[in-house]
Amino acid sequence: MPTSPVKTRVPLSSFGHLITEVKKQLFGIKGPSSVQLTGWRKYFNSYTLQGRRNCVLATYGVLGATAAAFLMHKQNKDGRQMSASTH
Amino acid sequence: MTLSLFDQFLSPALMGVPLAAAALALPWALFPRPTLRWVNNRLLTLQNWFFGQFAQQIFLPINIAGHKWAVLLTSLMLFLITLNTAGLLPYTFTPTTQLSMNMGFAVPLWLATVILGMRTQPTHSLGHLLPEGTPTLLIPVLIIIETISLFIRPLALGVRLTANLTAGHLLIQLVSTATSVLLMTMPVLAVLTATLLFLLTLLEVAVAMIQAYVFVLLLSLYLQENV
Repeated sequence: MPTSPVKTRVPLSSFGHLITEVKKQLFGIKGPSSVQLTGWRKYFNSYTLQGRRNCVLATYGVLGATAAAFLMHKQNKDGRQMSASTH
Repeated sequence: MTLSLFDQFLSPALMGVPLAAAALALPWALFPRPTLRWVNNRLLTLQNWFFGQFAQQIFLPINIAGHKWAVLLTSLMLFLITLNTAGLLPYTFTPTTQLSMNMGFAVPLWLATVILGMRTQPTHSLGHLLPEGTPTLLIPVLIIIETISLFIRPLALGVRLTANLTAGHLLIQLVSTATSVLLMTMPVLAVLTATLLFLLTLLEVAVAMIQAYVFVLLLSLYLQENV
């Protein structure tokens, strides 16, 4: 069975991870080091583990807030429609 | 009573008593129990050799913390291989053609790996949802895509096993029906279909073993990511 030219510790269960490892190992394209990341990029980036974690949490937070706002708006709208139909 | 092609997949019952439990308990009766003897018989030695080889193969890339899963995954592998291959015998019921059973294996085990990852190394588990070096604009899109692919995993595990076995059994039934019908009218063609049936049966034996191995291998990969 042909082996991959890309050596990984963690199994590559997604295409995105494979592309990253190929860029790093076969083409030598590396991301910026932690010192070069300043400002908000220090906490939200796709290079450090903590940065990736914060991006994931922020995305889930935004999605959750959007869903909550949509549901509350829908509830208010249904409530207003119910009260308009009874009058 | 006219039988349809899918009657072979119905859960067996005898006078209203479901026999699925008996079908699931069959593998336990087929394998010898380890003894207290220093040197065991050939069958037991072969069985132990197989377990050792399999566990070494699967658990070599996994951290020590994940080796706790060795007994579970080895026994799952043996269970699935036995059910799959025993189901290839004529007129036997194959429990792994039932999606409910395969999902019953896939969902709890996958969920256990995810919960284990979130509990022991939450930063790693969450960080794994975003590939390194993703361009900024693509970050939210890729996070959503990786989350969807994470939740699709148990579905894929269960459906893969079900679909492979169901398709194989259906093909065997179709080709064997064709062979028996053609035997009287066109014997030469019946010989060809019988050859096809033989080759298909060999293929299905291989598929039965490979699918069980793939199921357990993928679970071990998900464990490796989270431990």
